[in-house]
Amino acid sequence: MRTNTRRGAVFAAGVVSLSMVLAACGSDSSSDTESEDAGSDTSEETEGSDEAASDEQIELTVTVFGNGGYEGDADGNNNLFRLYEETHPNVTIKETNAGQGGDALTALLNAIGAGGVGLPDVQMIEEGWRGQMDELSGSFVDLTEYGAEDIKDRWVDWKFEQAVSSDGKVWGYGTDIGPQGLCYDATLLEESGIASSREEFAEALGGADATWDDFWSVGEEFTSATGVPWLGVSSFAMNSFVNQQEEGYYTADGELNTDNPEIQAFLTQIVNATNDGLTAKIDAWTWNNEDFHGNFGVHVCPGWMLGAITEAVSTGDHQWDFADVFPGGATNWGGSFFGVTTEAENPTAAAELADWLTAPEQQIIAFQNAGAYPSQVEAQTDVAVTELTNEVFNEAPVGEILSSRAEGVVAQYKGPQDSVIQDTVMGGVISELNAGQISTPEEAWERFQALLAENGIE
Amino acid sequence: MTDLATRDGESTATPDALREERRRRMSPRDKWRRFTYRFTPYLYISPFFIIFAVVGLFPLAFTAFVSFYDWRLTTQSVDDATFIGLQNYSDVLFGNAVFWTSLANTFSIFLISTIPQIIIATFIAVMLDRNLRAKTFWRMGVLLPYVVAPVAIAIIFSAIFRDPTQGGLMNSLLELVGLDPVNWKSDRIPSHIAIALMVNFRWTGYNALILLAAMQAVPRDLYEAAALDGAGAMRRFFSVTLPSIRGTMIFVVITATMGGLRIFDEVRMYDPRPGSVGGPGGIFRTVVLYMYDTGFNGAKGDLGKASAIAWLLFFIILIFAGLNFWLSGRIATDGSGKKVSKRQLRREAAAIVNEQEGAR
Repeated sequence: MRTNTRRGAVFAAGVVSLSMVLAACGSDSSSDTESEDAGSDTSEETEGSDEAASDEQIELTVTVFGNGGYEGDADGNNNLFRLYEETHPNVTIKETNAGQGGDALTALLNAIGAGGVGLPDVQMIEEGWRGQMDELSGSFVDLTEYGAEDIKDRWVDWKFEQAVSSDGKVWGYGTDIGPQGLCYDATLLEESGIASSREEFAEALGGADATWDDFWSVGEEFTSATGVPWLGVSSFAMNSFVNQQEEGYYTADGELNTDNPEIQAFLTQIVNATNDGLTAKIDAWTWNNEDFHGNFGVHVCPGWMLGAITEAVSTGDHQWDFADVFPGGATNWGGSFFGVTTEAENPTAAAELADWLTAPEQQIIAFQNAGAYPSQVEAQTDVAVTELTNEVFNEAPVGEILSSRAEGVVAQYKGPQDSVIQDTVMGGVISELNAGQISTPEEAWERFQALLAENGIE
Repeated sequence: MTDLATRDGESTATPDALREERRRRMSPRDKWRRFTYRFTPYLYISPFFIIFAVVGLFPLAFTAFVSFYDWRLTTQSVDDATFIGLQNYSDVLFGNAVFWTSLANTFSIFLISTIPQIIIATFIAVMLDRNLRAKTFWRMGVLLPYVVAPVAIAIIFSAIFRDPTQGGLMNSLLELVGLDPVNWKSDRIPSHIAIALMVNFRWTGYNALILLAAMQAVPRDLYEAAALDGAGAMRRFFSVTLPSIRGTMIFVVITATMGGLRIFDEVRMYDPRPGSVGGPGGIFRTVVLYMYDTGFNGAKGDLGKASAIAWLLFFIILIFAGLNFWLSGRIATDGSGKKVSKRQLRREAAAIVNEQEGAR
């Protein structure tokens, strides 16, 4: 017993002496540099740093997610970060793609929780995170200090307003918005006899007055004609519907609005459609490329979705198309911002990059790369956007369609837990429905409320 | 103790007193030399323990600390957090049934994976222990799956095991032999089986190699003797191999227990939906996935509660590792499944010797 204690004491002594050695090393080196600094010629130093300022090497880190078109087109050409480096030879950009939006949010929150360790200089922020941005805006610089007011007119006004926190800080510059049309399998639609062109398809769904009821009734016709489900990812239809409402999961005053009877009614529609075999029962973001090769008819498509499904639709032998119609009218789903974090060593340079990336010229390139529809007024009316067609989607005039779909879009209030309600709660209910664990609208609504409680949203 | 005392001829002295006496007689230089000789090894291994204290022990203790606070993902210091005592623990345990269902899922996946895994690993090890041609090739072969990242395995298995509406290789195979397709992703037990297969794919070969190393240390003459006595392959395995590798078997069982109860990558990737919680209705949500979801799912970000889950899991793993240690310690030295006392062994040995002499 006593021996053990003695050993323990000596062990502790060893640890202490070792750490002292380590500490000594540390202090040694730091005092060395200090003395060197003190000894150096001051006038020379100033001269040197002046010279450095003119073409000082700046390294900027950027975190993006999804496919916003910044890292180039499908062949990797027109990478915006490389283009910026070409025009700004003293800037090197290190970009990271964090994967899906949810992963990017987790990484961001983690970095903020760690006191800013690991935050990039420029961070891409998703529309769905807006509910949290009031709380998080402390980690982002106020862009009004870097000229936000001067370029305010660049964006459609609601897009700029979305990036203003309740205390008036501007935490981001808008990139794209998410006006929605419908992507559809033209091969199957032709087979079903419903439509042989995108105009006919839009007309069949009710054109400008298209409603969700029309959407489901055309779906029934389609499924009975082809034997193939009508809608691919029903949770996306739910997201679109919620975004379409004046108030979604939260009221405009920021109160929870999860008893919203409209949402309940739409969930009922989805349950019925699923029971009738109108949906392909694919959960959000879990599809394989083959799912787009003739396994369902339509897919809801915000502009950025075109980029997300390009690989899936271009690998099969079915022709896909994109139509100027959306049930229930104009809606916006998604769209992003670029913010500058307080960790940026050179916030001016970082803000300059955010400014440049969200300027109309660059947003046009991003649109051409990935289909994310610009939020900049000038870009929206630019011929490079309005006349852009998409080869993969049967040469559809995506620019013209999306600008038509963008008319009348209004921004909806997003609460702090909006993304959890959308993905984990509502997404969870719909995945249970797809798995056959839920079969009636009543059960679905019960599970929705139960999952809200389970996730601490009450 | 008494032996030592009598040898020194000081029947009243205790060992401590003796040591004290010896030390008094040493010169300072001798003392120093003795000191460095005995304790420098501790100094040399201390870097590991220092680093472990910083990156292992500190986070462990800090997690315990955080678990008593209302601590969000974005909370930067204790000044922004509220002390709430055991609230997080009671929320996890009694707030709803999620912890308990995820614990049940964890155990189900753990049992479905670990038991076959160890049996198969032992079998493979026995096979590899034989005189094979190209030994190294086969040995490296079983380790190959271990090189593959768990996430990659999960993606491959997710493509193989899908729901009938989505096709998938496994259901095609089942249909080929005339069986009904299975809901690999939306039924509880099939999904657990698919996940257990991923775990086993990765770990079986690894465990087999560890067991093989132990088997190779078993003296060959034991097998020869057993064979001469007429023991068949099975009898040799249960009476010679298994008792001889008991220590390694305990190691394998305990590491498998710890790994099995902490399973995460495979379940997270098996349902890659954003904000997913381990399949529809959480049918394959494990405790670690629940912890991850609580702590890191976007706006929820409740690190306090996640820390409480982490500590609860820690205790559960301790209990089960202990239980398994005790269970695998029951592997008896004679292969009968009963623990035998030394005296009994001696008596049996004597009986055998008598018998043999009698026969002669």
